[in-house]
Amino acid sequence: MSWFKKESKKEDHSLFKVIQHFKKSGDFIDFHNPQSPVPYWISYFGSLIDVEILHRDILPFLNKSSIKKLDELKAALPIENVTVTSDLEVIQKMMLTGSLLIRFTEKDSHGVLVKAEMNKAREVTIPEEEFSVVGPKESFVESLTTNLNLVRKRLPIPQLEIREFLIGTLSQTRVAVIYIAGIANEENINTALQRVGDIQFHQILDSSYIAQLISDNDNSPFPQLIDTERPDRAVGVLAEGSIIILVDGSPHALIGPTTLVKFFSALEDYFLNWQLASVLRIIRLFAVSFSILVSPVYVAVLNYHYELIPKDLMATLVSSRSLIPLPPFLEALVLELAIELLREAGARLPTKVGQTIGIVGGIVIGTASVEAGLTSNILLIIVALAALASFTTPVYKMSNAIRLIRFPFLIFAELWGLVGIAIAFTFLMGHLLRLTSFGRPYLEPIYPPRFEDLKDAFLRLPFKMQPKRPIELQSPDTIKFSGKAAKQKKDIDE
Amino acid sequence: MKVSVKEQFLISPYLAFFVVHSMQIGVGVLGFQRYVAIYTEQDSWITVLVGGAAVHLVIWMMYKMLNKEQGDILSIHETTFGKWIGGIFTFFFMIYLMAMGITVLRTFIEVLQVWMFPLMKTWTFTLVYLIAVYYIIAGGFRSVVGVCFLGVVVPFYLIFTFLAPLEFANLRNLLPVFDHSIKEIALSFKTMTLSYLGFELLLVYYPFFKKPETSQKWFHYGHLFTVFLYLYLMLITLVYYTPDHLKRTIWATLAMWKIIRFPFVERFEYIGIASWAVVILPNVCLAFWAASRMAKRLFNVTQKKALIVVLVITVIVNPLFKERTEIDLLNSIVSQVGLYFIYGYIPLLFFLHYLMSKVRKKV
Repeated sequence: MSWFKKESKKEDHSLFKVIQHFKKSGDFIDFHNPQSPVPYWISYFGSLIDVEILHRDILPFLNKSSIKKLDELKAALPIENVTVTSDLEVIQKMMLTGSLLIRFTEKDSHGVLVKAEMNKAREVTIPEEEFSVVGPKESFVESLTTNLNLVRKRLPIPQLEIREFLIGTLSQTRVAVIYIAGIANEENINTALQRVGDIQFHQILDSSYIAQLISDNDNSPFPQLIDTERPDRAVGVLAEGSIIILVDGSPHALIGPTTLVKFFSALEDYFLNWQLASVLRIIRLFAVSFSILVSPVYVAVLNYHYELIPKDLMATLVSSRSLIPLPPFLEALVLELAIELLREAGARLPTKVGQTIGIVGGIVIGTASVEAGLTSNILLIIVALAALASFTTPVYKMSNAIRLIRFPFLIFAELWGLVGIAIAFTFLMGHLLRLTSFGRPYLEPIYPPRFEDLKDAFLRLPFKMQPKRPIELQSPDTIKFSGKAAKQKKDIDE
Repeated sequence: MKVSVKEQFLISPYLAFFVVHSMQIGVGVLGFQRYVAIYTEQDSWITVLVGGAAVHLVIWMMYKMLNKEQGDILSIHETTFGKWIGGIFTFFFMIYLMAMGITVLRTFIEVLQVWMFPLMKTWTFTLVYLIAVYYIIAGGFRSVVGVCFLGVVVPFYLIFTFLAPLEFANLRNLLPVFDHSIKEIALSFKTMTLSYLGFELLLVYYPFFKKPETSQKWFHYGHLFTVFLYLYLMLITLVYYTPDHLKRTIWATLAMWKIIRFPFVERFEYIGIASWAVVILPNVCLAFWAASRMAKRLFNVTQKKALIVVLVITVIVNPLFKERTEIDLLNSIVSQVGLYFIYGYIPLLFFLHYLMSKVRKKV
């Protein structure tokens, strides 16, 4: 029997060794109580444990009980998440994610692991990036558990499935892929699960890491997954057949597959009546094209095509530009960069200082540079409006992309005027045509043209007219609700 | 011999409407009126209709052949002439496709040089434009068709701008009707056919439709829409210009844009020409895609390599055409070849293919 003894001795030694190793950290507590009816050792990371659970439920129980066996202790403890094990790897992993270990002798090879994780998260607050006047005012927080609660309580159905992954060799981040079985397309689900499962990375700090690691084309300036901080938006797309991905430690959910037009729809569009919502969407669409095109057109016209402008308007332009030393391209470039500077400075500085910068930069520098004759006031108006217009996009990452693609347009406008803008548009068109999101075409419903999906794209037609789920998501269950009752025709006075 | 394409690269049959229409509308639209009106003057709109009807017949023949073969022109040639002779004919067809793309691009650049930038170098513009073309074709046939679709939809607003010249229209220009001999109509018919060219690329992309037989309906509709568009433009041109004026106007469509005036825009033709860079994109993309596809089928090379060769040749050849006369010559050669191809070669092929498939069935 000597070999057996040796073996067990060695194992003994190693759990003890693990504890000894942990003890090097200042926040590790290895506590022995010899005075209770059955003496016990309890060890845990003080920084990971909810002390209240320990003090309220575990310690009083241990101090009174006379149980001597680990298995009986497991049954008797007033906590549901208890395991008895001697597997060192499990013990190590569990203790590092918020479990405490109870042993009856110091060199015991077995221990009871009790889950007593500290769940410290920010309170659920008002959404800041996607604020809406009408509608719910909850937003996701950094805790995955809280976020899952926000989603689940809005969809109390058994078909809601949540698949969890542990990703990041160092960060061991919990990532949840959520979808409604029977509504989400099988192929989309598999793509999402496979891509998330295949991620090889050391550290996941935010959901945007996941977005970059699983997006179809990571060389594109366009985001291919919507990120939202609104649980209501996430649940809304789940019901249409999309898949959402939540990451522990990130207050943003990722939505996929998605299309370009969805980036320009705000959730508020669904809370307002359809006429108003449609007008708002058209305004946003106009704002985006205005934001991309206006300063390139200014450069193109003033460089090459001044015949394009009628005499009266030309007079205004010329008089505002007559004293400007810079050519239109440089003038536009300098102003665009100045606006980007202001935005960047405003984003990096604390809120109060940021406001001051806005005032100093926007008003003082703007006025001064016009008075000094460095820029024309017309271009100043144009560039400021374009910057303003780019912020009408509801998804922040998309407004970044829009500001970025303005610069290639500007360069092409300098090269070949309006034809250059058309060529830049050609590149943009080719790029958007080739983009996909989870393998689904990005430009849908424009191309491939799908009339049904256009009902909720540039316009938002009434709910009654949209009884079907979007074709783009290829949901196996295409009918959202029965539209028959809505379709009944009525005559006058009946 | 059936040509099968993987399911995920197939396109819906109704997109045939846009593919055929976008390919037919190209640089020719900017100035086709003069070449037709030289012979038939006020009766040119009849030629537009007659030419359109004749093309419908050719489309029907192509579909008959393709439906039987379930393949492309290469497999038709193989059935009809055997592997080697058929291969030679396919090679000539490939050269024709390439020449078509080059012609469209060079003529558009000429428009740019005449109307906007007289000093612009041909090769720089060709190079940048072809980079965009390469990027699109590298996305596969689906993204080429996407460009065809957007190339029709995005510049669609231009159709309404042609209503502006009606303010100065003189309806009496159209009278007297039927005042030309059959011979004159036949001569103008020949030049009108050139404007309809581009539909013969069906012989290459036919296997890319889901259930290709069903696309025939949409193909005819697409062509019908082209006929309608030419008719619309021709009628407006005829009532706006006097016959003598029209004979001296090279770019009749462009010149009509000149009279559009908004409070903030004059000289609308600049915007029109810039938009035309998007209109000719499907022409160039589809022609080069088809040429590289044929090269792939013929020589067993990857389409990417074939495409790069085609594009490099274009960048080298394009600047060689310098003068207006040279470009005119290029245009007339390519369109003559096209004319004989659709009214001579395709009916002949239709007949031979019919015979050969009967013969092979018996064997």
